[in-house]
Amino acid sequence: MEEILDPIILGQLLIGGLLAGALYALLASGLNLVFGVMRVINIAHAEFMLVGAFGAYVLYTAFGLHPLLALFIVVPAVFGFGWFVQHALVERVVGQPMLTSLLATYGLSIVLLNIGVLIFTSDFKGVPALTGSLVFGEFVLPKPRAVAALVSIVFAVGVYLFLERTRLGKAVRAVSEHPHVATICGIDTKRIRMLTFGLAGAMAGAAGTMLSMIYSFAPESGADFIQKCFAIIVIGGMGNFAGALYGGILLGVVEAFVGGFLSTQWAEATAYLLLVLVLLIRPTGLKGAALAR
Amino acid sequence: MSQALLDIRGLETAYGAVQVLFGVDMEVHAGEIVAIIGPNGAGKSTVIKSVIGLAPARAGTITFNGRDITREAPHHIPALGIGYVPQGRIVFARMTVEDNLEMGAFLIKDNAKRRQAVEAVFAQFPRLHERRSQLAGSLSGGEQQMLAIGRALMLDPKLVILDEPSLGLSPKYVDLIFEQLVGLKKQGRTLLMVEQNAARALELSDRAYALELGRNRFTGKGAELLANPDVRRMYLGGYGVRTGSAG
Repeated sequence: MEEILDPIILGQLLIGGLLAGALYALLASGLNLVFGVMRVINIAHAEFMLVGAFGAYVLYTAFGLHPLLALFIVVPAVFGFGWFVQHALVERVVGQPMLTSLLATYGLSIVLLNIGVLIFTSDFKGVPALTGSLVFGEFVLPKPRAVAALVSIVFAVGVYLFLERTRLGKAVRAVSEHPHVATICGIDTKRIRMLTFGLAGAMAGAAGTMLSMIYSFAPESGADFIQKCFAIIVIGGMGNFAGALYGGILLGVVEAFVGGFLSTQWAEATAYLLLVLVLLIRPTGLKGAALAR
Repeated sequence: MSQALLDIRGLETAYGAVQVLFGVDMEVHAGEIVAIIGPNGAGKSTVIKSVIGLAPARAGTITFNGRDITREAPHHIPALGIGYVPQGRIVFARMTVEDNLEMGAFLIKDNAKRRQAVEAVFAQFPRLHERRSQLAGSLSGGEQQMLAIGRALMLDPKLVILDEPSLGLSPKYVDLIFEQLVGLKKQGRTLLMVEQNAARALELSDRAYALELGRNRFTGKGAELLANPDVRRMYLGGYGVRTGSAG
């Protein structure tokens, strides 16, 4: 016990947790953005992440492209894919009962997963493009994790600033609050929903590209992530973009400490324990749910 | 009479299988304030929702400024010169006052011009200017209604359509909002409003339409309707003590 309370070990756990949490935050905030704007929970969100991860894998193995450069191809591609999926599928279930959209996106996740298995089999893949560690005194940061966290933060903050500062981003928030009133302001809500789904896809794609450098992954790897994302958006506040950022980082840090103090098995359960705890104290999540219309 | 700015002919509107309007006719001329009164369920709000495309007409025609807008999508309406103040003073509560107004000017893509339009409305509503960085959800009910009106003015509309502008406001703010409506008329704007406060609406308006169960029932000058015993009995619920103030 003395060993584990060593400030260096605690600091190392905190760093590890923050780095993992940044990736969670990026992934979950995209899911929450879509929920906020169209009240659709995209069960296939983690498959969008894996589209990014396999995209990075193909670009790396076929062309030797580094995942950081692959971002410039993968992110626009998954944005376009998200835009198309909204247009062709999700738009049809917007405004329908929640079960309808859950089934539609669940179906999409099954289709994407199986296409993944057909092309890539169920073998685990990885992109070992970046190795080594950064050492700051007593603290060690594995380079791939540090880079992934940095890129995640840049993307998440970028989208946040887009939503807060720009005309189009504010329109996205207006549609999430009152779609009818946004419409009579001249906002084409259908286009805003396509933009939103594209953005969420792009964020998931960026997360996947970063993930490819850190973890090994298979087409079936989405399940773990989507479950954690559900927990994160409820912890942070349903539909609240910034809430998902806080929730993601919180989960990363708590998981790291639980893993460090107890065991990695317990770390897997952390998301749900944290979920119950937060809901007991603040039923609408840390930043408040954006459900009222 | 000259050609109406807004001309509604034989309007029939239904929500799914439930038909609400059964051939409503209405004209709004440039510079007028026109009120729609009637009991709950008469279809007052549905008329204006059909005009702005949120409840598309099943039959009939709606012409604005000489253009058929019967099948126009709602997001095309503001560009035509129609501003809309929704019922229940709906503002974007999680956005600042300034951003709310900016959304009213969404169609102005040029950032500098959009900001100019926001400043113009701030000049008209100093109270909103004081609260520009506050979240709209933190405003009082009357201030939110002011914001909703300001948002509808952002594109300098010819016609402003208001759905129950005084609903749920304290008497002080009801007076203030009605004063502002008179101010809008003086600016040369045309107003069409649905109002449950029929007495106040008739006093203010040039003409009014009384609806009953989705059909026209009475039409006339505001003061005439106010003096009509049938209208008083059916729509004003005992109003009449103050008839002297109507003129």
